[in-house]
Amino acid sequence: MKRKISAFLCMAMTLGCLAGCGGSDDANDTKTNGPAGTEPEQQVSGEAQEIMIWHDGDESIMQVIADTANEKLAGENITVKFEKKTGLTDALQLYGNDEANGPDMYLYAHDSLGALAEMGILAPVTDVIGQDVLDGMLPMTVEAGNYKDTQYLMPVYYETLLFMYNKELWEGDLPATTDGLYEYMEAHTDVDAGTYAVVNQHSTAYNVAPFINGFGGYIIDKDGNPGLNDAKTVEAIAYNQKFAALQADGDYNTVTALFNEGKAAAIVGGPWLVSGIRDAGIDLGIASLADFSLPNGSGMAPYSGVQSIGVLKYAAENKKEALGRVLEAIAAPEVGVALANQSSCAPANIAAYDDSEVAANEMIMAMKQTAETATPMPNIPEMSVMWGPAEELLAAVNKSGEDVSSAADAAQEKALTAIEDMQ
Amino acid sequence: MRNKKQKAAPWLYSSPALLLIALVIVFPIIYTAYISLTNMNLYHWSDYEVIGLTNYARALLKADSGFLGALLTTLLWTALNMAIQVVAAYFIALGLNTEGLRGKRFYKTLLMFPWAMPAYVSILLWRVGIYNTEFGLLNKVLVALGFSKVNLLSTNGPAFCACMALNLWMALPFMIMMIDGALQSIDKSYYESAELDGAGFWTKNIHITVPAMKGIIAPAVIMTTFTTFKQFDIVYLLTMQKGAYSGATLQTVITYAQQNAFVSNNYGLSSAVSIIIFFLIMVFSLLTNRSVKEESYE
Amino acid sequence: MSKRKTKTRIQHMLLHLVYILLCFLALVPILYALSLSFSGSGGALSSRLSLLPQDFTFQNYKMILLEKPFLRWFYNSAVLSVGTMVIAIGCGVTASYAFSRYRFRGRMGILKGLLLLNAFPQILSMFALFRLLKEMNMLDTKIGLVIIYAGSMCIFSVWNMKGYFDTIPVEIEEAGRIDGATDFQLLWKLVMPLARPAIIVTAVMVLIFVWNEYLFSTTFLLNQDSYTLAGGLYQLQSNDYSRSWGMFSAASILVSVPVLIIFFCIQKYMVSGLTAGGVKG
Repeated sequence: MKRKISAFLCMAMTLGCLAGCGGSDDANDTKTNGPAGTEPEQQVSGEAQEIMIWHDGDESIMQVIADTANEKLAGENITVKFEKKTGLTDALQLYGNDEANGPDMYLYAHDSLGALAEMGILAPVTDVIGQDVLDGMLPMTVEAGNYKDTQYLMPVYYETLLFMYNKELWEGDLPATTDGLYEYMEAHTDVDAGTYAVVNQHSTAYNVAPFINGFGGYIIDKDGNPGLNDAKTVEAIAYNQKFAALQADGDYNTVTALFNEGKAAAIVGGPWLVSGIRDAGIDLGIASLADFSLPNGSGMAPYSGVQSIGVLKYAAENKKEALGRVLEAIAAPEVGVALANQSSCAPANIAAYDDSEVAANEMIMAMKQTAETATPMPNIPEMSVMWGPAEELLAAVNKSGEDVSSAADAAQEKALTAIEDMQ
Repeated sequence: MRNKKQKAAPWLYSSPALLLIALVIVFPIIYTAYISLTNMNLYHWSDYEVIGLTNYARALLKADSGFLGALLTTLLWTALNMAIQVVAAYFIALGLNTEGLRGKRFYKTLLMFPWAMPAYVSILLWRVGIYNTEFGLLNKVLVALGFSKVNLLSTNGPAFCACMALNLWMALPFMIMMIDGALQSIDKSYYESAELDGAGFWTKNIHITVPAMKGIIAPAVIMTTFTTFKQFDIVYLLTMQKGAYSGATLQTVITYAQQNAFVSNNYGLSSAVSIIIFFLIMVFSLLTNRSVKEESYE
Repeated sequence: MSKRKTKTRIQHMLLHLVYILLCFLALVPILYALSLSFSGSGGALSSRLSLLPQDFTFQNYKMILLEKPFLRWFYNSAVLSVGTMVIAIGCGVTASYAFSRYRFRGRMGILKGLLLLNAFPQILSMFALFRLLKEMNMLDTKIGLVIIYAGSMCIFSVWNMKGYFDTIPVEIEEAGRIDGATDFQLLWKLVMPLARPAIIVTAVMVLIFVWNEYLFSTTFLLNQDSYTLAGGLYQLQSNDYSRSWGMFSAASILVSVPVLIIFFCIQKYMVSGLTAGGVKG
């Protein structure tokens, strides 16, 4: 026993000394010795080229895009690969200038565009693809990827929140107004028993936006002015508060599990929930949030998030050709149709809607209908610091029971400070 | 010749470790200090330049809003946790050393389990398994007893206690083990003579056990104090993970600094905040160091 | 006499009661997770109160072991932990020997300085460490991460082992020196075997630190196949595991088991290894 330990430690020490010195003195040496020197392959003609796209979404959706695009790229010696990075924007801040390790492109919702563009790590997408590719996309989705009159993003699919319900649990018809919805919730919710009528991530800004936008309020306007204590925003948050009281904790995992386990009859959620819901064997019904009208008469107005691809500057400089081919492949109607049919995503590609199966998809049509009235999330850099204060406000009101208007003033103050701190 | 070698030897032996530390600990501090003097932010991402002490002025001006509160919370957090930990562990260990008590080893082993769980796993286990309003055991028990559900993490006071309960759960085993070891090292003859003098339970503890133990557990206590002060995961994962704000707005200095760094994307400003925090922690540790040293001279 | 006996008996009964309660409190969260990990779907939401699994099944474990690159992550964690341990202890032992045995200019200064450096919260050095690894071309490599981990644990290792070395009488080495042994031989043959508890415990603390670390590993490793267990779990908690709390529990249990095993293997060294040699036995 003793000998073994000492033999082991001997090895430990020698190795330790070696590595300890090597680490600082001859860093370049260690790199070649390093066990996993994974440099992305350089562009060598005739050799297969792999284009890396980072994302922070559902892996099965990315798989559909990758498979369909790779099929189209077959014979061109280019493949596309998706890699999931949790906290994508933080990761891009670090790796956005790092050609050796960073991705070639990223796929993410369009609201982070402003921040990334201001950092100067993105190249306009029009550098690698022609305007004709973008002309085949829904105008709303293209518009979302435009910042300061430069087109940075190529849209792939978009999503809005939907009203999803369990057909076996929901009793009667869906109400036409949010007040009616509230009455139904009051009658069918038993918090202590853990059974709910409708659940929603009631303290997540994205999920409360249908109320805020519907009431005519705003989180931030086009010029970067936060509107957390705007009278209409406050009214919407106060209105959402009574729903929140009947909607469990509102944490993503909690509400998703409640719906999937049949403890909640309906959930306000997006298409990303569908694969889990199907696995749980739930008979899913879908309605557009715009179909529920608010007390002021207008329908609920969720944000639309356009999942788009942006090109990193260094990749655009060195791999222009290959990136263009990949983006064209992803922009093809086939990808849109596959996304719609396999993952229930609403494609940005207009031609994809000509497919009969897509046109018959209840969910996609509901999203398309909502998207016509939906407000695209703002993509200015200030948006990136708004989620924090907005969600603190919602949590303060819904969870800590603070007074709406004073909490709104405090959150507005925080948002202003955060925006000021960016400079 | 021999003398010269003698002089070089310690430096030779310690150089690998010192190099590593220089690289991984010292370099980041210096680099952070450098960045704190620049205007590196979203709008000057790669073309940042040195702008002097402006960021420090701004950081100090900000101090009135969040930072002071965070500092107070952290001090309270550290003090309460350490006090409860040491006192509770002391009595638990004392009981475990009761003469003739059966099953001591068994209890000791069981009590160690929480310590061996990875911290990150423990925290998520507690967040969902205990505190969550739908899945949490705590709320299941409350409902079974006929009360209504409570969301402990939604307001600051209860959330602070919830975080503390979790921290104690995670850290007590270690302290119990240390104190238990220290207790066993005390010479039993002291107690015998004290008993002859008619000393009671408290007299024995205060005059023999505590003084004898102080020096032995000091390193463990200092180490734990630092860990408690720097505790980040518990507060962060329980109450403020992105997209899962629980409602409580607790901030410790570390979460405050981290929030500042990642929310505003202003690396210059947040580096200044980091450096100020570093100085405060240094002052704090110099103070604790001094008091510990004085104690061991007694 | 018998009165005293009854008194002791009552005292013991009360103590047992207290300890059973304490053990229960310590184990409840773990038992609950264990029970959920063996439960079929829906176990977590049922309103019944029991620590026994509902619909006993191995399904959750099967899913994790087969569907996720769990074994791959396990391997990565093991390589990183052992690599870090080797480097941190290798550097730590020689350095702490130097600080314990030699009196040289700057010794106290360095020792105190190290303690102060320890006060810098590492989470704030993320950006600087990124630049460091980038300059050294070690992003997305295991060796880069090992260097960072080893550096992070170096101060602790040096201080902890130095304290123990201090308690080993110098006379033993002086005798050896007369016999003509070199410093290295002394350290190797005399001091290290004597300091075994401290070295083992320090090594295990390093191991556990790496095993549990998730922030650096998810930031500096770039593809799913190179994640560590903790990092992989962290990446997954926001989506896949949300579909099944039972699956997350199962994964948690699987991650904890190796640590538990190591911990109970070295339990007897634990106290003496961490208390600067003040404890006998």
